[in-house]
Amino acid sequence: MADKPNTETAPTPTPEQEVRRLYEEAESRVAKATERIVARDSFGELLAMVTENAVAVTRIGNEAMDLVLRNLRVASRQDINRLTRALGRTEDKLEQVLQEVERLRDDLDADASSNGSGTRRASGSGSASGSRSGSGSASGSRSGSGGTTRRRTTRRSSSS
Amino acid sequence: MTPFERLARTPIAALEFANTILTERDAPIGTTPKDAVWTHRNTTLWRYRSSKRQYPVPVLLVFALINRPDIFDLRKGNSFVEFLLDEGYDVFLLDWGVPDESDSDQGLDFYVCDEIPSGIRETLRASGEDEVSMLGWCIGGTLSLMHCGLDPDTPVRNLLLLTTPVDTSGSLYFNWTARDSFDVDHVADVYGSVPGRQIDWANKLMKPVTNYWTTYRRLWQQIYEGEGDFKPDAYQAMAKWVADNPPFPGQAYREWITFMYKENRLVRDRMRIRGKRVDLGNVDQNVLVVTAGADHIAPRQGTLPLLDMVGSEDVTHFDRPGGHIGLMAGSRARKEIWPDLAEWLGERSDR
Repeated sequence: MADKPNTETAPTPTPEQEVRRLYEEAESRVAKATERIVARDSFGELLAMVTENAVAVTRIGNEAMDLVLRNLRVASRQDINRLTRALGRTEDKLEQVLQEVERLRDDLDADASSNGSGTRRASGSGSASGSRSGSGSASGSRSGSGGTTRRRTTRRSSSS
Repeated sequence: MTPFERLARTPIAALEFANTILTERDAPIGTTPKDAVWTHRNTTLWRYRSSKRQYPVPVLLVFALINRPDIFDLRKGNSFVEFLLDEGYDVFLLDWGVPDESDSDQGLDFYVCDEIPSGIRETLRASGEDEVSMLGWCIGGTLSLMHCGLDPDTPVRNLLLLTTPVDTSGSLYFNWTARDSFDVDHVADVYGSVPGRQIDWANKLMKPVTNYWTTYRRLWQQIYEGEGDFKPDAYQAMAKWVADNPPFPGQAYREWITFMYKENRLVRDRMRIRGKRVDLGNVDQNVLVVTAGADHIAPRQGTLPLLDMVGSEDVTHFDRPGGHIGLMAGSRARKEIWPDLAEWLGERSDR
């Protein structure tokens, strides 16, 4: 008897399974084809042009709207942005002052602990020496120093 | 299912499908309790407290400038933050917030030279430690890397970089943005801060059929075949995160595209931030680089040069299957990658 393929081990797919397999294969091929399209240089050029047009339209819209609002004597987005930036700059300066204060406080604590007369603060925070020169950088060296624990209460606290 | 059952099932599944999509904005994400330790401009440093703290060195998470960092804490039972807390780490998260037009002047230097050092400083103060482990993901990884390359004295002990772009040549983004006809200055000047929706649109356009069709077709299939047992939590949490796109500050966008794509400076050793050269030879931390085999945003071959560029003597590379986000937030991440990260970190987080 001639050899026959063993069809008993692989169950015959139902028409529904076959339709699904064909569909998924088609979808996968379309996906790969579109990925090849978007990777082409010409698509990149097209995208750059579409972006440029969209940005230009946005600018025209923004300028027109700003003009209308200014003529109505209402603060426009540009005015609010200017104010927000001024606030941001103030916050930056406050942050620098805060960092400087913290650095000085660390230095004071380090001096106090090296003199053997620890100071107590209302917040209960003590901090170790080891801050590097220059402000704005994290205190503590990689090798670790002082051995005392730096802790402080958090400035703002909220739970979500 | 008989043909009649199938027919009867269709309107119910359609209703369930619509409900899943329409209510995805209500899905709870980022729910692990946290405290705000420090804020500056839009940036907030969050602290997640571990009740079983085992390792002294805290972990500072730094995410990209696109999308929100909630992906680290996606949902209960599938949260990397929750996992780290269970493993005994004190976890901090540097959240860039939601910038707007008034933040358009914030460049990469703002993040690398101001916010990351301040985040580290506040992490150390809050945890009472001298060193920190920094984990950066995507652009967050590149920013963390730049910080370590700029400051040889940074108190970062371990640097974990997940799907981090370093050499962008050959990537699809490179093809789109490095060409002269893509005028990044025009985009940044007009928008101020580039709308998150546009960034998201560009990301999705990389795999248009998968993102705009297959995702929904699979959802339908799961609902239809689930016969009422479908749980929308996982889909909704991810869909909500994907749809939450904060604007990209204009100056940072301009510099990111110009420095990383048009001029590919990092891998050419020509990246300068505030006049200082980013020298990857300065990166002497214990470095773990994680790449994803199917990552189309930061392809593996674009990250690999990093392994030879850093000055560290302890460099480990994990290459895993998965995509840019799926690697860390997919359903298999909890078993396949998180334990390996925790093990690597655990060996390097003692006193």
